[in-house]
Amino acid sequence: MTALRLAAHVSTLAALALVVPGLIVRTKSLWSGRRGAPILQFAWDLRRLVQKTPVYSQTTTVVFRAAPYLALATSFAAAALVPVSGRAPLSFSGDFVLFAYLWGLGRVALMLGALDTGSPFEGMGASREATFSTLLEPALFLLLGALCLAGAEPNLDALLHHRSGWPQGLLLSALTVGALVILVQVESSRMPVDDPTTHLELTMVHEVMILDHSGPDLAALELSSALKLATGLSMIAAALVPVKLSYSPFEGAVLQVASVIALAVGFGTVESLFARLRMRAVPAYIAVAVGLSALALLVGAWRGAP
Amino acid sequence: MILLLCAAGVLLLGTLLALVLPGNNARIGASLLAQAVSTALTLAAVVPVLTGGAPLTARILWSYPVQSVAFHVDALSAFFLAWSAPMTLLGSIYAVGYLAPDLRGGRNAGPHFGLLAMLQLSYLMVYSSLDVMVFLLGWEIAAVCAWLLVIWSYSNQKVRFAGFNYLVSTHVGLFVIAAALMTLHAQTNSMDFFAFGAKLSEPGRLRDITFLLLGVAFALKAAFFPMHTWLPRAHSAAPAHISALMSGVIHKAGLFGFLRFTLLLGEPEEWMGWTVLAFGATSAVVGALFTTTQRDLKRLMGSSSTENVGVAAMGFGVGYLGLTWDQPALVALGFGGGLLHILNHAAFKCLLFYAAGAVYRGAHTVDLERLGGLARAMPRTAALFLIGGVAIGGFPPLNGFVSEFLLYRALIVEAPQGNAGVAFVIFAACLAFAGAMSAFSVVRAFGIAFLGTPREALQGAPAQDPPWTMVAPMALHAVTVLAFGFVPAVGFALAAPAAGLFGDTAAAQEAISTVSLASGLTALAVIVPLVVGALIGRRAPRHVTWGCGYTAPTTKMQYSASSFAAPFAALFDDWAPPLITRHLPDGLFPQREGAYASHHVDPVEQRMYEALGQGEGVVRSVVGRIVTEPRMVFAAGLGLVLLLAALTGDRP
Repeated sequence: MTALRLAAHVSTLAALALVVPGLIVRTKSLWSGRRGAPILQFAWDLRRLVQKTPVYSQTTTVVFRAAPYLALATSFAAAALVPVSGRAPLSFSGDFVLFAYLWGLGRVALMLGALDTGSPFEGMGASREATFSTLLEPALFLLLGALCLAGAEPNLDALLHHRSGWPQGLLLSALTVGALVILVQVESSRMPVDDPTTHLELTMVHEVMILDHSGPDLAALELSSALKLATGLSMIAAALVPVKLSYSPFEGAVLQVASVIALAVGFGTVESLFARLRMRAVPAYIAVAVGLSALALLVGAWRGAP
Repeated sequence: MILLLCAAGVLLLGTLLALVLPGNNARIGASLLAQAVSTALTLAAVVPVLTGGAPLTARILWSYPVQSVAFHVDALSAFFLAWSAPMTLLGSIYAVGYLAPDLRGGRNAGPHFGLLAMLQLSYLMVYSSLDVMVFLLGWEIAAVCAWLLVIWSYSNQKVRFAGFNYLVSTHVGLFVIAAALMTLHAQTNSMDFFAFGAKLSEPGRLRDITFLLLGVAFALKAAFFPMHTWLPRAHSAAPAHISALMSGVIHKAGLFGFLRFTLLLGEPEEWMGWTVLAFGATSAVVGALFTTTQRDLKRLMGSSSTENVGVAAMGFGVGYLGLTWDQPALVALGFGGGLLHILNHAAFKCLLFYAAGAVYRGAHTVDLERLGGLARAMPRTAALFLIGGVAIGGFPPLNGFVSEFLLYRALIVEAPQGNAGVAFVIFAACLAFAGAMSAFSVVRAFGIAFLGTPREALQGAPAQDPPWTMVAPMALHAVTVLAFGFVPAVGFALAAPAAGLFGDTAAAQEAISTVSLASGLTALAVIVPLVVGALIGRRAPRHVTWGCGYTAPTTKMQYSASSFAAPFAALFDDWAPPLITRHLPDGLFPQREGAYASHHVDPVEQRMYEALGQGEGVVRSVVGRIVTEPRMVFAAGLGLVLLLAALTGDRP
């Protein structure tokens, strides 16, 4: 059973990571009246990159070469704690701490890889990423603590699936989804925090940190951020859809995957209709996530009160 | 107990020999040998206590005024002795390499190495005595030794000032601790800690006041915010091994004292737990905030000590509340996590300070704005610094994660219901924020100093890895960091007996077995990509860094430490403004060269001196702002309401 769940998890995760970027791009194309690239274009791009020979900057050291694979491994390992196809394959009490720190470790690898090039652009990207992610960290812990106080089992899977009665439960879910959306937008560098399609280095966050990576290394980084995006969307989906634990695993998985696809379309829509925020406004946007989480904490404590 | 007495004798002999023997090699040899022997004796004495043996006790009769001295080595003392002694020995070995350039210049190594042996003696006295006199004597020996060790480069006025600053601060702490102990002595007419315990466990005003006095004294010793001002200064002035020992080992005596009195306190009152928790959280957040902007690598580490003792104190606060509420899980996770964090911090902080010392010896500066690209010239130092840095950021699978995991378990998973639970989660978010800022500074420090290209032509010889006397202690610390991280049960086996004095450690043991699984999985997830990354692409083609088509980049274009921190620091500008000195060129044809420098100085120290120097003016300007600025009106009103609430609220 465990092996089956693990297999389902890995295959769903891989499929989502390959499809979700394409879905977002396609949604944006449709909104702007174009036909757009094939949905699986991202997968073909990865294949093309893997076949190439990487070129390294003369400045770089082993840190630069190891960083992409470390980022990929942490994204993949962190996803094991998240319900991607129904239930998470691995859960233990307090696993959300490991989740947060695994994503953190991936970020550290990415930022150090960027600083290793000695490029001013990449230093700028690393600085922005460090600032935003530092500000975001309390939001995640406030949110998860709120869900714990509301009476959920203290592991990521159960916390995200936690549902409590009307009206506090609904309010808690709404706040959770709101905070998670901002969290995913920041963590996976989506609009309105960062524009992954921009062509000016000065306006980038994530893309500018991977300017010097090429070939399989770039593929690893792209896949890593796609995995993070798929994981993040799965988290929102788990908090959003009315999953009852009495569903059969298959039904749960289908419902969840369908929600992730819907969310990807939603993210694409947001990216089509809104412009990127000014860099100086991003901390305020993150503060909204912290505020939503703090509200969730109050609501959670209200639910939990005897 | 006889082993510990022998160890003390050996140390005294070693100090004496270090002072009188001719030749630096003989002096250093005598000190190191005495420390090695005493470390072995100490370990032989404390290991049975840590593995479940009975506490060691002894009473020595002496002439007036001491009369009788009681010694008592329980699991708490044994825990502190078990790592303080070997780490100080490693520090002394490191000193051989670190001080080598000075010694070749003709300096006498005797006093320095003699003092290092005396430090070991002070641990024996502080950690094992039950008697106020011996405790304070050991406390004072440690303080004076540390001061004398800090001012190794005494010919530099800044170093003398930093040393004096430290000496004054530590003695202010001594007055406070003496006040607390004399209060207790007056009540009990005894010099014995256990006799104090009888008085301390009675609720009442005396207990409250003593608790606050002791808390302040121990907090000053361990450099909690806002009593940390001496620390970054002393750390940047001292030789690297002294900074390491002060931060990692010597000032842990403050936390030891706090825990020793916690054991005597019986069941603490609820406000004590909340005070410790809030105090610790403030220290953790503010300490981490200071690290994000520091230019001086050793100052950065010093501020990070304030953060880490804060994290440990958060654990103790949770443990206090657990004792009050009779929640064994909180007691186990709080005290277990806090004690483990002390040990972990000693391991990675010494490592980082040693690496900073290696940078100083290699590149002749620790100013981040002048460093860069050291990873090529000093690969070993870079790797060791990175291990320490990832550990201090609290990332799995290294040891910092283990103790922080225990604290998160206490603060989130075991959080009580209702308002207290809300407070717990907010404190967990503070811990997360402090952890994130600490990761921020590690990325900044490592990325700027070790990666990229060198920023300035270094003066003197080109940078290179230090000699083995410096690398070996670093490597041993790195092995400890890795071992305690990969196999969390090892580190916790040391801390568990001490945590067991406060209550049953079952909940912490359970959390440790969980985190072992997590660490194991992460280790796998980390090691494979590191190997892959190291192996592939070594022969791949090379080109200049992509500069958007510009192919002649210079190092001046690189992001600097200040520019890296700028977006984050800008958010806290109101509270911790940078000190900027400008001499801008003027006119169309400027005659003089321009200069611009920005530093983030310690806002607490700055304001302290401001208030001391121009007290009346500061009060007047604050009062003036209250009536004109809306936010000051709000703050003053809030303060007034809180004050009224505190005065009129129910007192149990």
